[in-house]
Amino acid sequence: MREFMARLRLVPAQAGLGYVVLVATAAAYLVVYTSSLGRFPTSFDYLSILNTMLPLVFVAIGQSLVVLTGGIDLSVGGIVSLCVTVTATTVTGTGLAPFGWLLVVLALGAACGAVNGMIVAVGRIAPILATLATLSIFTGLALWVLPVPGGSIPPVVRNVLSNPNVPTGLIWLGVAVGGWLVLRRTRFGMRVYAIGSDETSARAVGVPAGRVKLGVYALSGLCSALAAIFYVSTTTAGDANAGAPFILTSIASVVVGGVAFTGGRGSALGAVAGAVALTLVIDVLFFAGIDPLYQSLFQGLFLVVAVLLGTAATFLTRRRRATP
Amino acid sequence: MNLHRYGRLLVAAVALVVAAACSSPATEAPATQATGAEKLKIALSNSFIGNQWRVEMENVFKAACAMPPYVDQVDCSVYNAGNDVSTQSRQISNLISQGVDGIVINAASTSGLNGVVQQACDRGIVVVSFDNTVDAACGLTVNTDQVKFGQQLAQFLVDQLKGQGKVIMVTGVAGTGADNDRNKGAKEVFAANPGIEVVATYSGMWDSATAQRATSGQLPSLPEIDGVWVSGGTDGVIKAFSAAKRPMPVFAGEAENGFRKYMAGILTPKVNGMSIGQPPFLSVIALELARGVIKNEHPKQSVTIPFPVVTSETLVPGETVFPDLPDSFFADFTDSGPNATVILCQEAATDGTPCPGKTLDVNFGQR
Repeated sequence: MREFMARLRLVPAQAGLGYVVLVATAAAYLVVYTSSLGRFPTSFDYLSILNTMLPLVFVAIGQSLVVLTGGIDLSVGGIVSLCVTVTATTVTGTGLAPFGWLLVVLALGAACGAVNGMIVAVGRIAPILATLATLSIFTGLALWVLPVPGGSIPPVVRNVLSNPNVPTGLIWLGVAVGGWLVLRRTRFGMRVYAIGSDETSARAVGVPAGRVKLGVYALSGLCSALAAIFYVSTTTAGDANAGAPFILTSIASVVVGGVAFTGGRGSALGAVAGAVALTLVIDVLFFAGIDPLYQSLFQGLFLVVAVLLGTAATFLTRRRRATP
Repeated sequence: MNLHRYGRLLVAAVALVVAAACSSPATEAPATQATGAEKLKIALSNSFIGNQWRVEMENVFKAACAMPPYVDQVDCSVYNAGNDVSTQSRQISNLISQGVDGIVINAASTSGLNGVVQQACDRGIVVVSFDNTVDAACGLTVNTDQVKFGQQLAQFLVDQLKGQGKVIMVTGVAGTGADNDRNKGAKEVFAANPGIEVVATYSGMWDSATAQRATSGQLPSLPEIDGVWVSGGTDGVIKAFSAAKRPMPVFAGEAENGFRKYMAGILTPKVNGMSIGQPPFLSVIALELARGVIKNEHPKQSVTIPFPVVTSETLVPGETVFPDLPDSFFADFTDSGPNATVILCQEAATDGTPCPGKTLDVNFGQR
């Protein structure tokens, strides 16, 4: 029993923040939607929310992995842009051929991430500097691949990934969540938390911190590539500037999702909840009829309130721990 | 600890109950909406509102919506997306859910909205994009011809200088479609006139302050200049010439109110020039096209409108140049002359309020 309680304490109250914010945002969405249109959201609404949020969900998962090790990945914007342009220009054909190309794109994303990992782990450069530099490189490469927005995606890919009529996106969301649940129970997953909690101690007990970090950044790159594929699938075209907004929104998702920036605490599922909540906030503001001039003000307020809630939750848990 | 977990569940439950409670009275909403059902619902989805041009563009849209014939026929709404494709995409999805009749778009990405625009078209919604247009084949567009912008200004210089002289080109933001097209048009005309020598080409970034700095840096190394072609930031270039005590060449530039003040002699020195601009009233033309197509008054065709053009001789204070407005204001929020595309008043551009006692008449033009 003591052991069980000890394990429970390892799950900080902050990790629940993402779910609370998500439930509150979803409730707010239902309220403003029904009061503005006089009916409940239809399958079209749910489906378009699902398809629009998938890219951010994937980037947020990758970002949360990096943040769990105590790092940050600014280059997600560049990797998304690069993979978007490559997907929109090279993925062609019918039948199974396009899916072969998609694997190439995923490999490209993972390779880009591995470059970040090398610089951070081997070069011992601060993650914020390393990924800021590679962000420019990847964005530049994206502009070189596709200087003006364009390109296309075979309809077969669209039907499988983000079908506008059938919620195929749910399958992929399930795969991503399942992947995380498996990953965090593996030795690799444990090591990610160990490094984030205290890298020196982790190294002392023989955790190969460099290799784990390399893997984490490569996974983040893979997630960005997945996001890029879903982006092209939803919008049906590429744009070399497509990735830029994901830098801030993925970090915001991680924050709202209750992943601690000091590393070692939180969960990718929280970041997923945060990403969904951030997508829904746009719709809440839309149906609440907020003056467009003040929409970014309210989006910012939402972030600040969510973060304050998280801090308050951590504070309360600490006090509870202090008084046994 | 357990209590805490239950507490979290409680929060979730309360939120759901609140949601359910609030949604029941809301179901009466359609009854109130039905009274205004005969009006068309047209929404403006704008990518961002970060500069003077976009502010004027939205203001004239709001003003037009408050003026006949739109005030009686159309229910307008305006949304901004902070230059984020997925936000704009969500907003357009929500507009589809609202069941609007038409969507007018200035896009965050020319390709990023294709998917959602196609979905709107599939549901019979008329989609008109303008300025930064959408690629999707089912949507209509309203725009100007940026190559012609470059050509027309360059041709003015050639005519004024009678085919002989030294000119400089101040370009815009590299890598954008409009900058490429404008420069291409100008270079074509200059190349066709061997008497014209382009002695310098540099970027002013479509910004008056940047254009002024760049020009001040270039001037000491330049010979006497006869003509200046400016893609944007024209008043800054004039200020640089004035500060360097250079004789004033002929200017061909954008539609900044500051430039037109120099042209009209409101600011000194008076300059001879031609002013053309990407008009903020493109949003009004797009509104009219959407309305007309929905009502079957216009063929379902994209529209290219001519640029509003003024020269030093044709400027009229209060109509095409505005002494009491700032230099950075785009004075081409209204067209002028007998064949004007649309005529709007100053309040429409500054405050988004309707022009008193005026019926808007949009002329798609056979010019």
